[in-house]
Amino acid sequence: MSISIGLSLLSLLVLGAPTALFASLGIVTLLGIPLQERTISRATLITTLTGLVAALGILAVMLTTGSRFVPIDLGNWVDVESLHFHFHVKFVFDRLSVPFVILTFLLCGTISAFTSRYLHREPGFTRFFLLYSMFLLGMVVSTAAGTIEILFSGWELVGLSSAMLVAYFLERANPAINGLRVWTVYRVSDAAFLVAAIALHHWAGEGDFARMVGEGTWPSGHSLLTPQQALWVGPLLIIAAAGKSALIPFSGWLPRAMEGPTPSSAVFYGSLSVHLGAFLLLRISPVLEMSVFLSGSVVILGLATAAFASMASRVQTDIKSSLAFASLSQVGVIIAEIGFGLRYIALVHMLGHACLRTLQLLRAPSFLRDHMEMENALGARLTQYQGFWEMVLPQTLRDRLYRFALERGYLDVALDEYIVSPLVGLLQQCDRWERRWTEFLDGDADLESDHVPVVTDSLEEWQ
Amino acid sequence: MASCSRREVLTQNTYVVRAFPSSGVRNRPSRFPYGAIEMAYSQPMLQSEMETTETLTDDWLRQDIETAAQLLPGQGPITAFAFVNPLQAMEGLPFDEGLQLGSRLYGCQPYLPEGRYREMLEKGRIRCEDLIEVLLETLGDRADQLIGRLGTRFHFQLAMLEHPLRLGSSAELKWVVAESDALVKFRPEVSEKTRQSMLRRTEAWLTLPEANADAPGAENALRKVLLQRFGHDFADWSEGRWTRVCLNLLWNVCRQGVHQSPNSHHASTTGPIRPRDVIWNLQGEDTDQLVHEVLIRFCAAYLDQGQADWSMPNSDRRFWQAFCDYYSQPARIRQRWLKPLPAILQQLRASETEPLQLIRNILHGFGISQADAPNFLRQSLLAFRGWAGMIWHMESRPDRVPFPVESGTLIEFLALRLLLDQLAAQHCAKKLKHGSAIVWSDLRQQAGRKGRTQHALQLDQRAFLIFQLAQVRNWHPVELLQQSPQEWQVLLQEIEGFSNLERRRIYHHAFERAYQSKALDAIAIHTRQPLTERPVPKFQAAFCIDAREESFRRHLEAVEPAAETFGTAGFFAVAMQFRGVADAYYATLCPIVVKPKHWVSEDVALTEEEVHRRRALVRRTLGAASRQFQVGSRSFASGALLSAGMGVLASVPLVMSVMFPRWSSRVQASARQWLAPPRLTRLRLERTAETPGPNNGGIGYNIDEMTDICRRSLQDIGLTHRFARMVFMCGHGSECLNNPHKSAYDCGACSGNPGGPNARALAAMLNDIRVRTNLSKIGIEIPLTTVFIGAQHNTCNDTFEYFDLDLVPTSHLDDFRAARAALEKACELNALERCRRFASVPRQLTPAQAYRIVAQRAEDLAETRPEYGNCTNAMCVVGRRDRTRGLFLDRRSFLMSYDPTQDDSEATVLGRILGAVVPVCSGINLQYTLSNIDPVGWGCGTKLPHNVSALLGVMDGAASDLRSGLPWQGCDIHEPMRLLFVMETTPDAIRKVMSRNEGVRNILENGWVQLSLLDPVTSKITVYRQGEFHPHVSRTSQLPRVTDWADWFVGKEDNLGFVERCEEVSTQTP
Repeated sequence: MSISIGLSLLSLLVLGAPTALFASLGIVTLLGIPLQERTISRATLITTLTGLVAALGILAVMLTTGSRFVPIDLGNWVDVESLHFHFHVKFVFDRLSVPFVILTFLLCGTISAFTSRYLHREPGFTRFFLLYSMFLLGMVVSTAAGTIEILFSGWELVGLSSAMLVAYFLERANPAINGLRVWTVYRVSDAAFLVAAIALHHWAGEGDFARMVGEGTWPSGHSLLTPQQALWVGPLLIIAAAGKSALIPFSGWLPRAMEGPTPSSAVFYGSLSVHLGAFLLLRISPVLEMSVFLSGSVVILGLATAAFASMASRVQTDIKSSLAFASLSQVGVIIAEIGFGLRYIALVHMLGHACLRTLQLLRAPSFLRDHMEMENALGARLTQYQGFWEMVLPQTLRDRLYRFALERGYLDVALDEYIVSPLVGLLQQCDRWERRWTEFLDGDADLESDHVPVVTDSLEEWQ
Repeated sequence: MASCSRREVLTQNTYVVRAFPSSGVRNRPSRFPYGAIEMAYSQPMLQSEMETTETLTDDWLRQDIETAAQLLPGQGPITAFAFVNPLQAMEGLPFDEGLQLGSRLYGCQPYLPEGRYREMLEKGRIRCEDLIEVLLETLGDRADQLIGRLGTRFHFQLAMLEHPLRLGSSAELKWVVAESDALVKFRPEVSEKTRQSMLRRTEAWLTLPEANADAPGAENALRKVLLQRFGHDFADWSEGRWTRVCLNLLWNVCRQGVHQSPNSHHASTTGPIRPRDVIWNLQGEDTDQLVHEVLIRFCAAYLDQGQADWSMPNSDRRFWQAFCDYYSQPARIRQRWLKPLPAILQQLRASETEPLQLIRNILHGFGISQADAPNFLRQSLLAFRGWAGMIWHMESRPDRVPFPVESGTLIEFLALRLLLDQLAAQHCAKKLKHGSAIVWSDLRQQAGRKGRTQHALQLDQRAFLIFQLAQVRNWHPVELLQQSPQEWQVLLQEIEGFSNLERRRIYHHAFERAYQSKALDAIAIHTRQPLTERPVPKFQAAFCIDAREESFRRHLEAVEPAAETFGTAGFFAVAMQFRGVADAYYATLCPIVVKPKHWVSEDVALTEEEVHRRRALVRRTLGAASRQFQVGSRSFASGALLSAGMGVLASVPLVMSVMFPRWSSRVQASARQWLAPPRLTRLRLERTAETPGPNNGGIGYNIDEMTDICRRSLQDIGLTHRFARMVFMCGHGSECLNNPHKSAYDCGACSGNPGGPNARALAAMLNDIRVRTNLSKIGIEIPLTTVFIGAQHNTCNDTFEYFDLDLVPTSHLDDFRAARAALEKACELNALERCRRFASVPRQLTPAQAYRIVAQRAEDLAETRPEYGNCTNAMCVVGRRDRTRGLFLDRRSFLMSYDPTQDDSEATVLGRILGAVVPVCSGINLQYTLSNIDPVGWGCGTKLPHNVSALLGVMDGAASDLRSGLPWQGCDIHEPMRLLFVMETTPDAIRKVMSRNEGVRNILENGWVQLSLLDPVTSKITVYRQGEFHPHVSRTSQLPRVTDWADWFVGKEDNLGFVERCEEVSTQTP
């Protein structure tokens, strides 16, 4: 009895610490109270440390008691009997979520310590940490989620904070453009996720994972959905995961996301955020297991992404893009492992990869120094590193592959040309129709917005 | 080897050559670069559409492009950060003119924003008296002219400087007038007296209508409006109501007055000329965004120095060829605007069109006339100046990168950029024209008109300026009301003529003057004491001229009063290519403008050869393994194995290096000990072959060359007699982590490398008995008891490394130990002084704590400010150290030792020194100053999103042009001001130097630095202004004194004033 109370307390600590941090930073910022750098970084460090210790506590209890499944039920928050609908707030600590929560706290804690020095005297210091705490909360909520709606809300927090941190340097155009791009891709994947969640509700009246993956503890659950239903929900969830984890065809956003300060790039796109899609697939792996089609497509998607990304990584001429694609290639492999049903391997792979890549990205500004050190050790300038495939392939094919890799698989262009631009064209056509219609009604061909200057003048230029 | 003759032809003795092309390629009218720039800016553009571009010959185009290329950032690869004046090409113009021209060309700010200067004015950093002085100097005779009936021009402009005038866009102003208290309350700085007088006179005017019966209709109309709005019951009106009436009246009067006079003042912007700017003005679409995405990717891939694991195939082909190869294949998926590209490229190939011909065709296509061509080409290059500059650098200085490009690449780059510009512009302009043919000249005019109307000040904006000024200057509304339209015109012209730019210029000069007068006062007071012959010191130490060494030397002199220090350019006159014992290749250790002709390598002593061989093998094995790991971790299969199998282990170094940086670096250091090459090494300094070369016998110098180097460096600093038993030569370098701009912290005189090897080489040469014999023949007698020791000061963690200690004779061991103790003590004190500038460090520290802190910062991955380099530099003293010894210069002064008493009548030594010191120090200073003024424009922005690209430079975030200049974290505490030179010499001598050296003359005469002289005999100070030396007028006669430097600086973060140290002052007075 006391063990279960202790477990609940620990879990509440795990969830409560990031919530408290986000709430307090958010409220204080909202009230416009300026905060000291030291206060913010101390608060963040203490929070992550508390969370980490609590999560380790849960792990210890689970190991000693042999319990492998600790649900934390906060009851129904919305309950509409007549429609058989209820919104159930439930968190689950099991073999999947506990390691992931620990990883989240560990990396976030380390990175926040790093950032508090790295961003010293930066005007956006508070904003960074506010978004960062939002991200932390999102990660913890989505990893520990026990229902699909809770996972979705955490997922949204992660998405929002990622996009805002990509656009962290608001004063330049590129971060804003790329942030918007990331956000758009996230919206697409969120839409798929949301439809899946609604479909699930429709069939089951609830979004509990227990319903999808069975009552058994992860990874040994068996889905209670019918194969028919699985075939509906599965692809939607795969799209959701593909958007979040930058799998083909969404891969283009990942290198573009390297716009924020180095540590945020490291923790988001090197480690945690980019693995969230894989985490989702891991969570619902019993559903994938039900159909060869689903698991087959996951394998193909993963392998194709991995092959493409490892090629792209080799030709990138800047360190961050190169690491972004490297990271993506491993995410692809992890996704493929999930498709093959190698859940433990995928989990271990994910944890290891997150740590390794974070370290590499944090050290990215040291690249020149590392490169020189390596040259000095080898006693010569580094020559081209010939990969196996480059040696066997004929010249023309090799050149073609190089182009394919340098152009990042033409993925962005393809999305722009075949999806975005027809859509934009359609909307612009609608705009023209609407305008014609208002002009007809108004009897006047002049709109107020026509006179808004395209380029506004800045005062400093006044002479 | 490409065309490198243009930029630098160097001899041993002249270290500086300005970067101007030698004309003579063609007979076109004189095309001095800045002259051409000026012309293009003063002429209205595009009037001569009739002229075709056909007349542009290849030579003309080529020269135009090369002229424009002089404007590109000359920084070169980031691994050897070069401190050069970002406006080097403008040095032939007076400072303000060059700066403002540069600011227009590059689109950067020339001075700080006005608000910043006003803050300084409020804080007293800018003094009113300086403001008045500068203003009077600028205005000259025009100062006392009356502006209408409203006072003299001088008072009028001073009022504009003293009180902030606010201005917003029209929409913003509407809001301010309607919603804020602008029409409710007087401006805060209006005195009570002025207020009362204004109110009373308004009252008189309003309440006595009959007295103004004959007033013009406009006046009565105004009165009516006011009465209507506020009513007639004057008696009950409170003061607040009167204030509102008064201000309303004033505002209306101003509007009326402005309304009467047409807006003659057009913003001086000429119309856009690049198609990108035309489209941007017309529809707010940025075609550069499209073009640059392609260019960034292609340039980085083509110019890559080995960063990508898989580099571009055929990158040995020429730039243009490689691009054609890459893009001429038809691809199904391609950006819409790029669709026509393959066909165009194939056509160009078929017709064998040369890049220059292509440029000409495109100019023609855009309707660019011959007169506009230089401007157009320049703007097109500068729009992508990071990569363009890098290409130009790699082409003109092939010695500075491992894989240079062929000459002519910049032209190919420009052709490519224009071709892409054309495609993107046509793509975007389609929307403007809806199918009909695009006539660029029409579009350009359209855009020009639009730009002009947008830039012109609107009525409300102009009126609001007068409204504010009237309050401050006590111009009564009634007086204004009675002004004639001509008077209004004059008034407006006067206000708008005294533009924001001009005001900032005056603030800036006043700001510089405040420091100048304080600094010169301090030196004047300090040099009052007569110089006395000191006894032979216990030891002497020569350091780099660097401002960072100022504090170190000051502390060293305080710790050991019987020591003497010198300052000299940090390469110690040893210009060499150097390869350390564990280095893969040679590095250039001399100023960037010098191309060294000698090679020096470091060899392991014979006894250690076996150890060396073994360790090198281990290093190679480990290096190969770590390469495998690095490449493997990014690839498919081995990446999977590594990350799944060992990835979790990475969390250990991750957490350790972030949370416990000190500890983790200690672990690393002790691990490295087993790999490091043996410490017993020698420089291979003596050449056996006839001619120098990088291998075997070619390495090193012959004895005559060594003698010459030694003579030069000793004469430069005036150390030709009174040698102590021990003389240290101290180079410097900086060791820090995770910092692509690390080389900006290293020795600037060694091309951004540590200068220890130079110091070591000089010391070794001076210890050579054959060199000493030769030196004695020319009058430099070095006693046999004198030992030279080379050392390197690590400016980041304040440690010293000594070279060749095994050669110190036993007779000198005690001397060495004593000196080393003093140096170590000085290190701690220096660390303490540096710590005061770090905002994140506690204010009260002991030297030992400070020492730990600086060491920690050097080892911390997360530290973006491991040190501050030469930040805050403001002064450069060229003269004997005794003149400034014991004076606190706050790490803001470069110190160059020079003894005028040892120089000849032609000032040969001074000329030699200044030839290097003036351009180098002014380059460093202007780099910091401009990077601080506009951190994103002149500098490279904040470090946080920097991304190393192609091993050549950094980009902002995922993709951007290469960024040159200093990062914000390296210059945020700098105070932007031109370097103040204090030279211990006479006007005659400096004039002789200036007449001999054009580069130095340009910088000094045109005011790129401030120049003042300290007379070697009388100690009188003169200041150089407008070609004349004026005596400096002291404002203070006393300096504060401290017994311990730390008393002055501990606990304070900002720049500090000058102070003397009691002990040293008293030792000077016998």
